[in-house]
Amino acid sequence: MFAVLRDLIRYNIEFAVGLVLVGIIVLYACLSFFSPVDPTQIYLSIPDQPPSAQYWFGTNSRGQDMFWNLSFAFRNTLIFGLIVAAISRVISITVGLLSGYLGGWVDRVLMFINDIFVAVPSFPVLVLFYFVLRSGLNTYSLAAVMAVLGWAYDARLIRSVTLSLKHREFTLHARYSGMSTPKILLQEHLPYVMPIIFATAMANMIWSIGMEVTLAVLGFTNINIPTVGTTLYWANNHSAMVVGTWWWLVIPVVLIVITFIGLFLLAVSLNEYIDPRSRLRRMGA
Amino acid sequence: MSEDLLTVQGLQAYYQMNYFGVRREVRAVEDITMSVRRNEVYGIAGESSSGKTSFIKVLAAAIRPPLRIIEGSVRYNFDGLSVDVAQAGKAQIEAIRWRHLSYIMQGSMSVLNPVRRIGRIFEDYASRPLELTGEALRERVVAHLGRLKLGPEVLSAYPHELSGGMRQRVTIGLATVCHPQFIIADEPTTALDVVVQKEVLGLIREIQQEMGSSVVFVTHDMSVHANIADRVGIIYAGRLVEEGPTRQMFFAPKHPYTAHLVASLPRIGDTMQRPALEGRPPNLAEPPSGCRFNPRCPLAVDKCRQEAPPLETVAPDHRTACWRWRDVAPLVQPAVKLWERA
Repeated sequence: MFAVLRDLIRYNIEFAVGLVLVGIIVLYACLSFFSPVDPTQIYLSIPDQPPSAQYWFGTNSRGQDMFWNLSFAFRNTLIFGLIVAAISRVISITVGLLSGYLGGWVDRVLMFINDIFVAVPSFPVLVLFYFVLRSGLNTYSLAAVMAVLGWAYDARLIRSVTLSLKHREFTLHARYSGMSTPKILLQEHLPYVMPIIFATAMANMIWSIGMEVTLAVLGFTNINIPTVGTTLYWANNHSAMVVGTWWWLVIPVVLIVITFIGLFLLAVSLNEYIDPRSRLRRMGA
Repeated sequence: MSEDLLTVQGLQAYYQMNYFGVRREVRAVEDITMSVRRNEVYGIAGESSSGKTSFIKVLAAAIRPPLRIIEGSVRYNFDGLSVDVAQAGKAQIEAIRWRHLSYIMQGSMSVLNPVRRIGRIFEDYASRPLELTGEALRERVVAHLGRLKLGPEVLSAYPHELSGGMRQRVTIGLATVCHPQFIIADEPTTALDVVVQKEVLGLIREIQQEMGSSVVFVTHDMSVHANIADRVGIIYAGRLVEEGPTRQMFFAPKHPYTAHLVASLPRIGDTMQRPALEGRPPNLAEPPSGCRFNPRCPLAVDKCRQEAPPLETVAPDHRTACWRWRDVAPLVQPAVKLWERA
């Protein structure tokens, strides 16, 4: 495992850069565990201070130290994105593999449900959830709802790959030798669709974080929990750009862009590693 | 030897389809009776769409709808285990597959999963039938690979890291690691160049003799049959038209179709023009009446168009399904003469 990591860093510049970028953001988010201030409290420091030695990221108009506030925000946003990606990956892998490999009525039932989720517009549904749950809509419940809404496209993608794998010789071979269906799916087909899973997980995280920001900016989430979205909501609410407190908007945006680029590079380079054919090309063998 | 390892009796296997109320039937295997002895290589030849793939699907107990066995029996007599594929249940078939009855598939490129190491592929396929895991399985596999002249380092390689010949040897290794008594080889040499082909053929022969198993070898390449088979059976339009010891099949065929196959073989130093056989293989959904070869047969008479000839024994071990088998010899004369001179 360690050797794999070392080789990846040595031979794969994308991986190294991605690792550094994501590492910085994750470390920064982890700092929130040692925060001296409570992110939900306001007017603890002097409002509207530009970035300085004392307040690295400045303070906002609500008298919060942006350094610690954003640290909480990124922790929540990253956890949120990971939960959505993880849950929706589990659903889409299960549905995609089963429906592609088993076919028949299983396929038809699963794809019927799948098409419903493709057709349902997720944004109004999320707004509806906000109005029903109100303050009950925290990071975790919102993540669960988004995961249930966000698996359908990728399940179709995985299904299409499994459909083609089903008729390859190695699947016939495996079945002939008496491998059970779960074993064929997990050992023969899952490694094959792994690159798709990584790529779509990445896209799914970006989608879910973007969706969360949209909801938060419009005030449709619990705005007292600091996330990247609620940070932008409060900045907007206090007319940060008009007032001249630009750091309130610019710093979270720069950090989220770094996060996305880092995750993207990691996903791309891991894909290349997972596929044994491209791994060798990179190592120069 | 006591009883034949495989006995096929009057086998009929059709593809039966039902599309929107329209029934279609393709008679892929029509009344085949044959047997495979212990410790022999039985070659099956036939052109594309002659039903040979359907036939070996039945032999391999890999029958899936729309292919169905309509009649007849396919009985295996493994040591202390007798199974009729036409009647056996799912559990029984799964118990013999790979353990006693294995299958070298066509196209070594796609038989191995490109994203799994060879060692893992062996684990996937062989661990259940061998009832071995971990180190014991590894030892067994390494010993077996040694027989195929492959080192243990192959186990940690991915399929794309091996050459075509090595990959084909790995496929053969996968099929034979359980020491099956019956091996079906479906065109295992098709995608290989002749040098590797020769090596692979020698390997199959060697392994077969070492383990004392029987091999059914399917290919349309007659020269491969000449090299490896003890007996050859020719399938034409779903029927077994001739069967006999390899030498006799080449020097004294008793069916005009076989005669044409043999006559079309190229030989070194020979500039003779090869006559092509007129027409195409018949559509198995509507086969011609009588002998199925009659539309293309140079010897066809009225009887051939009305009545299907039965397989009759014309020499020891040699059976043919032709009304005019006595008149076949002149068809191959020029070719055989050349051959004898060579």
